[in-house]
Formats: sequence, C-alpha cells, structure tokens
Amino acid sequence: MTLAKSTLPDILETPEWRVEGRDKVTGAARYAADITRPGMLHAAFVGSPFPHARVASVDVEAARKMPGVRAVLTGADVRPARFGRRLQDWPVLAWDRVRFIGDRVAAVAADTVEAAERAAAAIAVEYEELPAVFDPEAALAPDAPVLHPDAAEYTYLGGTRPPRSHANMQGHVVHEHGDVTAGFEAAAAVFEHEFVVPRVHQAYIEPRASLVWIEGDTVHVVTTNKAPFALRDQMAVTIGVPAAKIVVDTPHVGGDFGGKGLSLDEFALYFLARATGRPVRSVLRYADELQLSNTRHAARIRLRTAVDPNGRITAHQGRVVFDGGAYAAGKPVAGLLPGGPTLTLAGYRVPAARVEAVAVYTNTLPAGHARAPSQPQHTFAAESHLDLIAHAMQIDPVELRVRNAIRAGETDVEGNVWHDSQAQRVIATLLAASQWGGTVGLDHGRGVAFSARHVGRGKTSLTLTLAADGSLEVLTGVADQGGGAHTMIQRVVARELGVDVARVHVRRGDTGHANVDPGVGGSRVTPVAGNAAVDAARKLKARLGELVLTLDDAARTAAPLAVTGEGEQNEHVFGTYAYSVEVSVDRATGCFRVVDAVLVADVGTVINPVAVRGQLEGGFVFGLGQAVMEELRLDDGRVTTTNLGDYKIPTIADAPSLRLVLITDAPGPGPFGAKSAGELANPAVGAAIANAIDAAVGARVMSLPITAEKVRAELAKREGYAPTSPDGTADSTAGRR
Amino acid sequence: MTYDYHEPETVAEALDLMARHGEDAHLVAGATAFTLLWRQGLLRPGHVIGLRRIVGLGGITATDKELVIGATATHREIERSADVARHCPALTRTFASVATVRIRNQATLGGNLAHADPAQDPPPMLMALGAEVVAASAAGERTIALDDLFVDVFTTSLRSDEVLTAIRVPALAPGTHATYLKFLPQTADDYATVSVAATMRFTDDGEVADVRVALGACGPTPVRARSVEDALAGAVPDAARIADAAARVDADIAPFDDVRGSAGYKRDMARVWTERALLSLVEGRA
Repeated sequence: MTLAKSTLPDILETPEWRVEGRDKVTGAARYAADITRPGMLHAAFVGSPFPHARVASVDVEAARKMPGVRAVLTGADVRPARFGRRLQDWPVLAWDRVRFIGDRVAAVAADTVEAAERAAAAIAVEYEELPAVFDPEAALAPDAPVLHPDAAEYTYLGGTRPPRSHANMQGHVVHEHGDVTAGFEAAAAVFEHEFVVPRVHQAYIEPRASLVWIEGDTVHVVTTNKAPFALRDQMAVTIGVPAAKIVVDTPHVGGDFGGKGLSLDEFALYFLARATGRPVRSVLRYADELQLSNTRHAARIRLRTAVDPNGRITAHQGRVVFDGGAYAAGKPVAGLLPGGPTLTLAGYRVPAARVEAVAVYTNTLPAGHARAPSQPQHTFAAESHLDLIAHAMQIDPVELRVRNAIRAGETDVEGNVWHDSQAQRVIATLLAASQWGGTVGLDHGRGVAFSARHVGRGKTSLTLTLAADGSLEVLTGVADQGGGAHTMIQRVVARELGVDVARVHVRRGDTGHANVDPGVGGSRVTPVAGNAAVDAARKLKARLGELVLTLDDAARTAAPLAVTGEGEQNEHVFGTYAYSVEVSVDRATGCFRVVDAVLVADVGTVINPVAVRGQLEGGFVFGLGQAVMEELRLDDGRVTTTNLGDYKIPTIADAPSLRLVLITDAPGPGPFGAKSAGELANPAVGAAIANAIDAAVGARVMSLPITAEKVRAELAKREGYAPTSPDGTADSTAGRR
Repeated sequence: MTYDYHEPETVAEALDLMARHGEDAHLVAGATAFTLLWRQGLLRPGHVIGLRRIVGLGGITATDKELVIGATATHREIERSADVARHCPALTRTFASVATVRIRNQATLGGNLAHADPAQDPPPMLMALGAEVVAASAAGERTIALDDLFVDVFTTSLRSDEVLTAIRVPALAPGTHATYLKFLPQTADDYATVSVAATMRFTDDGEVADVRVALGACGPTPVRARSVEDALAGAVPDAARIADAAARVDADIAPFDDVRGSAGYKRDMARVWTERALLSLVEGRA
C-alpha cells in the first residue's frame, strides 16, 4: 500500500462544486420531459368529475375516430392492473368505481398533446354517484360508505398487509411502552390539546413526466421517479412483466421534496405503448399536480401529556388521524401510514407512552410522502403543546425543553433507547446564539421549537472503476433530485483515496446498469450511499495493496480495476435541532413577520458544506411556507387551489434572515461521521412561529397554516372584541377600544 | 385547444377582426391574464387578437391638464415613467406593487382594466385619481369614468365592439395627497387581501376639501367608498373622525371568502386599512 497521502487541503473543508452544476446552469441538463423518442405519442387522460361514483359506461367510439388518435384505453382494457408503492390499491384506469375527483377512467395516445386532449374530451362517461366521505372521522363511522370493498384482491408488496379494525382504514398502528396509566396517575398535571394540519403539496418546480416504450420484450421507462428500482419492482407486479425486462431511467430531477417517489402515469403509458407499438409520453400540467395526488397528509392530532411538578414528562398519549385520501398507493412504508406515524414527541425522554395513529380512506386526492413524512404535523403539535405546558406551569419554554430533552441512555416516545444524544447541547447552543431571555420590542416575541429526525437507514451498493487514464468512475443507481448526492459520493471517494475531486466522476446508471438502490428518501442517501462510497474506495485501496501498486501505476498496468462498495446503516441514531424565531405582530391585522431566526442543527461531519447549508436554509423556507401560507384547499372533495397563484409558496422576498449554527463534532453513522440533513430543518418551523406569536401578543394558533386572520381571531377573543361576522352583518365597530 | 392569432396594426383593423369573429374573438395585449385563464380552460376563443403592434395604443404623454397612458403601455413602463412620477408618486408606487417585474414587463394597463379582476392594484388608485378610459368603436370614441367601467368580476361596461385605447388621469389639484396601501399578510408575491387607495386635499383651515377613497379585493369590482368620503367631506380630519369614517367602509363593500381571507376578515381589514390610508394622508400633509 503505497498510496501517497494527499497534500491537498481536506476535501471536506473546501466548498464543493456540484458535479451536475455546470449542466444545470448551462441548460445542458436533460429532465424527463426533455427526452423524446422517434415516433413518440402523447398521452391524455379522462378524470372523474365525481368524488365517488360507479362507472356505468365509457363510450370511446367518437374519440377513437378522431384525427391523430392512435389508442384509447379504458378500465376494461387494463383490468385488473392496480399500482402502488406498497399496497397496490389504485386502478391504472378505473373499471368499476372512481374514488376521487380526477380518478382516471380512460387514456388516449395521439400524435400531439392537443389531439390527445381533444380525444379525451370526446370520451363520454356515465357515472352513478355514490355517497362520498370527506372527513376521516366520518369515514371511520360504523355505517360509513366503504371505499374499497375489493381490498382482499389487492397486492401488498413485501409481506402481509397489517390488520385493520375498519374497512376504511389504510393503516393503523398503536405504539405502547412503559406504564402509561401509572404515569398519568402520578402526574402533578395533565395537559391535553388538539391540533389540525392541512394537506400541502411538495411544490417542486418540475411536474411529473414519463416516457414509456417497448423494445423487443423490454419495457423502457424514463421518469421523474426518484426511486427507479422501486418503480421497476412496482411496475413488474402491476403490468405482469418480469423486473429484469423493465429498465427505468431517472434523469435529472427538478425538485422532489419527498413527492417524487410515487409514479402515476407510467403504468397507463405502458398499456398505451403496448397498444400502439410506439413510445408514449406524458407531462403533467401543474393544475393536475395539485389535484391528482401525493400531498402531505392532513392530520388531526390530539396529545395528552402528564408531567411531574417540575414539568418532567411522566407519560404521554397521542391519537393521530391522517387523511389518506382515496388510495394508500403513495405510502411506501409497511404500516401504510406516513413514515414516523407515532413519533409525536420527537427528541424527548418519555418513560411511558401510548400513541395511536390511523390513516383513513376518504374521497379526496390520495396523500403520500412529503419531506420528513408526519414530522411537520407532529412537530407543530408537540412543540405547541410543550409551550402551552410551559406557560401553564410557569416554566421558561427553553427550560422545559432542557428538562425533557433526551439524554444518552434514555427512552424516547417510540420506546427507543438513545445511545447518544446531542439534544442538550443543541438547546444550550441555541440559548447562547439566540440570546434567549433578552428583551424584544413591543409586540415582538420569541418562540422556540426543538425536534429530532433519524439518520437514514438502509443498504445500497455502487461500483468504482479505475480507468487506464487514471480517472475513477463511480456508477450509482442513486438519482440526484437536487440534494447533492452525486457530489457527496464524489467527495467521499476522493477523500478516502486522497485524490483530487476532479479525478472522480460520478455516473448515474439506469436499473439495467447500476446496482440496486432503494432510492432517494428516508434521509438515507448520505449515510447509506456515502458509506458505500467509503467502502468502494477502501476496497480499491485494498486491491492496490494486494497488487503492490500505486493508483497511477495500477491505472497504467491493471486498469480497468473495478470494485463494488457496499453501504449499510441500521443504527438507531437521531440528529437533533432547534429553532429560535422572533416575530413582530401587527395587532390590528394579525399580520406577523419573522424578523430573526436561529437554527442550531446537529449534522455530524459535513461532506458538502454548501449543500448542507442549502438543505437547512431551504428546509427553513420550505417549512416557513407550510407554516404560514400553504394549504391545499378542498371543497366537497374538489381541490380549489388549482394553480400556484392560489396555492402560495414562499418567494425569496418572504425569506427572513436565518442564522445557522452547525454542530459537526458529534459523529454519526454516515461516511466520516456524517448524519442526515435534508429533512432535519423543515418540520419545526410552524411551532416556532406559533410559539413566537403567542409570546408576542398572547394569541395561540392551533392549526396550520398560521394566517394573519387566525392570529387576528385569537387576539379578538382575548380583547373581547367582536370582529365582523363572516356574513358581514355585525357592526364592525362594536366593542372597539 | 388552439386558436388563430391576429396582429392588427391599426385600431380599425382590430375592430374589423372583432366584427368578423364576434364572440369567438378575444382581445389581448400582454396576454398575462388571458394565458392563465386559457391554460385553465376557462377561455376557449377561436381567434385571439393581439393589440401590441398597434403603434398608437402605446406610450405615455403628460400635459398640464392630464396624464394619458396608452392601453398597451406596460406596468413596468408606467412604473418607470418620469411623467407618471411627477403626476402622482403614489401611482408609481401602485404600479411597482403589481405582481413581479417579469409580469410588469409584459402586462399592460389596458389589459389590466379590461380584465376587470377586482383584486388588481391599479384600478382603485386610478379610481381615487378620477381616471377615465377611452373606448373606440366603428361609431367613434367615448369616454367611460373608471367608476362606471367595472360591472362584475371579469366584466366591464365596454361593449363587444369596443377597444379600450387609452387611460386619462386628470391633473391633481395642487395640494392633493395620495396613497395606495396593499395588504399582503402572507407572501410578498400575491394579490391584495384588501387594498385601499385614497386622495385628499385640505383647505387652509385644515378641513377636508376633497377626498376620494377606493378599495380593491373587497367585492366583485373595485369600489369607491362613498360613505367614507361623505363622512369626511368638510370635516377636520382628527383621529376620531377618521376612525369613524373608516368604519363606514363596511357599507360600500361586498367582499367574499377566498384563499386570501374570509369575507368577515376582509371587512375588518378594509376598515383597518382605510383608517391607515386616511391617517397617512393627514399625517403626510405636514
């Protein structure tokens, strides 16, 4: 082993250049919607105008005869094909029943988008309306209409579907540990609060797009799906083609935020491609993005917590009802709930807990995964709940968190024992950085929120090849959806081998070429794929050692030299973080502005110093949007915020200053001690702002988004001021100061 | 889902195309509003007539008597016009508050007014400034006071054979103060939840000689708040009088629930922002 020690500065200290950055800024990067094939057709779909109905008949004769139309398919042509990430409960095209407005009943392939849309508009569908249910609690009533009477037919991937106690439950789980009854009985005080969080969309810029063609006996798929191997395996089951005969290729992805793990169109495109013998492409319009699927779950969260006289938690109960929408297809996890469904008090010592979570079918667009599934809902509830407890107990909100934040050796709300915890340090660092307890201006207030998220778990592998020209190539199946995965892999390999980063090239391979990878998600890319990159570099070094060659000599005499790096991360490790946010509130309007924010985050070793800031700052702004403005509104199952003019997301003009303090010296299980960062920062923003508003003016908002109107309504209650009633009949000056 | 696009070079040609295609024709200038409606399937004309090539429809001219803004002048041109800034700085600020610079570079004032979106920024300010529009048809030209232009959501009193050609803003009487306040509680890039435009002139004794108040996003059209104006006419505008006058805005508005707030909240905010607008004019007098 004669590899020279690098004389370069530590790669990890040097701000990174993104491996894909040049292509993106020059426009050379190609996204799924940019890719064409000779003879390509375009798809259009017919969606149900009713939230729940029987499909009585579908008349496609007129559509079939229209110019440029190459195929028209209905549910009868695809039956019994259903798709889904875990539970395949969503018909590719409905053949007997539609379950939400937009549920598809027919598909067209035509020479142009316009011809396809014209033909889709000419398809006549007769429906017989069925009673619809929009409220999850109502859907759980004993006599509620059953949305999925044929559930026994559904394929559940990777095991047996967990049992449910009601036909409208998608998933149901109860976690219990410790003696909950004793914990409540011994308590000095018990607090109970309920919180409501709406549906929100991930609001990536790039809409879903896909292209499918069949060559010989192989099905080719170009997609925006960030988990191409998972899509391949789901498709194999849905369309009845062996996985080995399906090649899924995910080019550059224009934003994900947790939403690009579910595919919608690919399955129908396969049937259209098969019917026409030609490639077929679909690019969703944004209006469809907002109306078709995979939103974050709306949730109603009731928390009940027992504390001792010092505010230490002795026991906790939670009941969480997630609105799953019409299909469970968007949920990849075994329990058919959004990930982390019972993590209602993340990052705290909870000696006894009983938390029940249920995801429920309703006649609304299906919910799925979004950045840090469940956690924005839970963290808004938990951190508001704790602030209310602190207020009632007359304990400083930060002090209450210090008393309860988990330490090594203690048990969390899900019954897991933490072997290491930076929670106390994170909070102490926040105290210092935010000058907590200092004075603030009139109608200004500071709020704090603390939380935790797991470091991702899973396994993957990639290959590293030394070429004759001395360059090193990594071939990975990881799609880079903007998080910087490929740059991370490049830097990890370069550092481990002690070579310049420019010498390492990262190439993404489709499912026919790269090694199996579980896809982007679950905060797993850096810890899992990063460990695979370390392993590959170490194996290459070992190989050079066996050959008694330097890297350069090996390139000349032994290339190509290929190794496979394996990465696995199964440790139960959490990263913790905390916000302090200062707001100013305009009492007359309820309007508030975040004037200062501090985020302390325990991220372990930093691999991409620019990207980690981008993830945390971006997570803050993403969280801010979902905290104060975003809400996918529905009216009797119909989405009413159908464009980004009505569904508002933050612009840079809305982003307040954020001071970021990273804790990097507590190593995690990822490469060189890295932890996960991409889903660390967004969940706690809502509670920090709610707590700050309450501190500023005594107005407590118990639901997201925290709008000026809600703040004003809370202020009005406290001032004994009666604002004008919604019908405008009240005297608007009544009770005015 | 396609249409024929026409680019007349004179108003007469445009009128001719309109006569030929009737209900199947739609006029556009910057086409920003049209594109949104068209993409949502809310408009499906067979013929779209673009007015941007008609030279005489653009430009901004100022005389001692009035400011004339061509129908196809963009929001950005108006925002950056020295003539407009001299005429009324609040008008400049109003145009600067519309959407984003990308939209302002494309969207025209004529299109804005003909579109008749009740949440737009320029209409209430132009109403408070006493503006009128010029409408041309084969029969000739007529002027329509802005107060009479807006009929309902997306509906104006322009006839189907008329083209809006210009906007005339009379010179302000010396000593007139003007303001436009846009309430944006959620994001800086949004339509107003409510907006208030006001102009006020005082006598030497400090009484209100002239006052005009108009609100946006408070009903199916931008509206004049005549109850507020009446309560202030001839009054000494102290804080109590202003608060009382602002509360009367309730009688002038008919807001509805939407994503930017409930009708009740908008009523409440119309009062708050009317009071703020009036106070700022009184305070700005010094």
